[in-house]
Amino acid sequence: MTDAVSAVPRPGRPAISGVVRRLPEYLMIWVPLLLSAGHLVSFALWTIWISFTPSTLVPVSGWVGLRNYTAVLATRNWQVAFKNLLLFGSAFVLLSLVAGLMLAILLDQRIRGENVLRTIFLYPLAVSFVVTGTVWSWLLNPGLGIEKLVRDFGWTSFRFDWLVDRDMAIWTIVVAAVWQSSGFAMALFLAGLRSVDADLVKAAQIDGAGPFRMYLRVILPTLWPITITVVVIQLQFAISTFDLVRALTDGGPGIATQLPALVVYDLMFQRGLLGRGAAAAVLMLMILLAVLLPYAAWRYFERRRARHA
Amino acid sequence: MPITITRRHLLAGSAAALALPAFARAQGAVKPRLTVISQWSAGSDGAAITALGKKFEEKGGIWQHTPVPGFTTEMMNKLRAQIMAGDPPACSQLKGPEIAAWSKIAPTVDLDALVAAAGYEKVVAPDLARLHKPGGKWISLPLQIYSTNMLFLSKRAMDKAKADKIPVTWADFNGLAEKMKAGGVTYPIANGGTHPDDGQKFEAAFAGISPASYRAAIMNLDEKALKGPEITAAFAQVRKIADWMDPNVGAQHFSTNLKRFVEGEMGMMIQGGWAQGVLRNAGFKFEDFIIAPGPSDNTKPVFLLNADAFIFWRRSEPDLQAGQTLMAQLVMDPAIQTMYSQITGSIPVRTDVDLAGAGWSDGQRRTAAALKDAVANNQALLSLAHNMAQENGMTAAMIDVITEYVKNKTISPEGGVARLSDAVEAAR
Repeated sequence: MTDAVSAVPRPGRPAISGVVRRLPEYLMIWVPLLLSAGHLVSFALWTIWISFTPSTLVPVSGWVGLRNYTAVLATRNWQVAFKNLLLFGSAFVLLSLVAGLMLAILLDQRIRGENVLRTIFLYPLAVSFVVTGTVWSWLLNPGLGIEKLVRDFGWTSFRFDWLVDRDMAIWTIVVAAVWQSSGFAMALFLAGLRSVDADLVKAAQIDGAGPFRMYLRVILPTLWPITITVVVIQLQFAISTFDLVRALTDGGPGIATQLPALVVYDLMFQRGLLGRGAAAAVLMLMILLAVLLPYAAWRYFERRRARHA
Repeated sequence: MPITITRRHLLAGSAAALALPAFARAQGAVKPRLTVISQWSAGSDGAAITALGKKFEEKGGIWQHTPVPGFTTEMMNKLRAQIMAGDPPACSQLKGPEIAAWSKIAPTVDLDALVAAAGYEKVVAPDLARLHKPGGKWISLPLQIYSTNMLFLSKRAMDKAKADKIPVTWADFNGLAEKMKAGGVTYPIANGGTHPDDGQKFEAAFAGISPASYRAAIMNLDEKALKGPEITAAFAQVRKIADWMDPNVGAQHFSTNLKRFVEGEMGMMIQGGWAQGVLRNAGFKFEDFIIAPGPSDNTKPVFLLNADAFIFWRRSEPDLQAGQTLMAQLVMDPAIQTMYSQITGSIPVRTDVDLAGAGWSDGQRRTAAALKDAVANNQALLSLAHNMAQENGMTAAMIDVITEYVKNKTISPEGGVARLSDAVEAAR
């Protein structure tokens, strides 16, 4: 062994001292990364295990197969929640995308006070979802908010009672969520717009493209990687939405605005059915993976294509 | 065998004789200590448990209360964590059938001797006693009682309806609601939009229409009673109530609308006895409203019980055991129950406490009288909406159906009955 050590030639020294020098960097990155990954993965695995046990108030071992899953899937609560998620997820992502893009394009017109406006549009993101939910629950309340205001102005037949209408209540959550996070989409799009190659724009101008054609044919096509990022981030937010609904409608009227995260919380902590709650949580994870795995695959192929090009 | 007493033996013996009483005293007089967790941290609840702690300290004990503010379920999360860590509190808040469920996951203290010594069983409503002795042994003690089906009448709404009679049956109630509507009360029923609120409307209707059927269907989950004509009538009554409520309430807490109730824009409120405390805290006077037992078609009061309780978890430490004994004695003490209920606005668990004194309100006196009557007529029942009749899983499954029924006017009473019995089957 000593031979081997002494055999290490001088050139080895700089490599070692390089590692030592960069040790703080490695520690900075890898320790938290491993810790959080281990944390996440171990708890996810544990939840998956619990979802196959007959656990109720406390975790117990045992095996019930898929019984928790079939029980959860058979409840009206879960069915309503799943349908709502499809509706809310698609509407929210689409609307916040469109609203964010429009805001970004308008702000991109080198207008005065851009910084102030940008801050205003981005600010809702700084507000907690509980606050957003509570404020909108007052605004949308027909007896106190917008409906009453318009009626007091004289339009007495005006109706805007989505909050208490079973069929429309899910849209109030879409409205509040879009209000909250279209500023975020705007910020990303704005960054994208600003990074569009100026030569490209000049070339299009020389070719005689009007502003409309310019956006449609030249600028927007360069934004689509950002669009996909925004869609994925917003989708994972939509799937895990909890606090907003809790404050705005609390799943009501009745159970009309249930979402999967609410069902998980309800099963685990209010009904004391850990096994079923874990099964619902695993179902949520599967929905999430259905969004994230295609995204990861797309990223992978994208990178490979770039390397080959 | 000859016994020889040496000086040394004598010395050792007398030293032991001298030390013995001191040793015994140390054993008997270990300072009682109690670790407690509850959700009561603020308002009248916080004040009441703090006062209880003071009494505990006056008796020479060490009071270690850890409040977990928020919903009961959050307190339960803390309790679950402590039990799983093998370190349960000596005593914790818990109520209803959850006492039986939780007592299966950790050992509890047998309180039978203490309860017998205090002669407590005779003065507790039988259904309530049963909840606190799962498996036949007392392991927990009820602390205070609320009725969930009290009827609150707005004085100003009564004036608008030109009515002065307190409704006794559901027919009286419906008649008064019609009169109020005709007299210009916009919404004859004041309400909140939370799930327990909707549940309370249903249980008040069902128990008031037929206490026996309520006991069979809701408390014993009897299949026939769950599909019987009485429960259908209850769903029909709930539909009437729902039609008189403000549809704009959304998911608000009932207290949001108390001002409109007192001002006569809303007429009647079916709420728990705790609403008295909320009304008083909001600055309204006793002249603003009337409190009476909820409607009952057989005219004898029906009492839907909601009771807070303490459960005692087994600990090996002598000081904690001494603390548990002291706590149990305090909780059963009529003077302590009087002090507690006067702070929170509830009524005592003991049916033999005299409520004539100045510290009690008319509402509390009427509630206590109703409980006595209801117990005598076997009409003291356990509340569904407040987790007394069934474990949380079953309760939530049933309340989901009820709250959807209240909000969805296209469901017929028969449809409500079918959905409810399906939900019960699925949750069994």
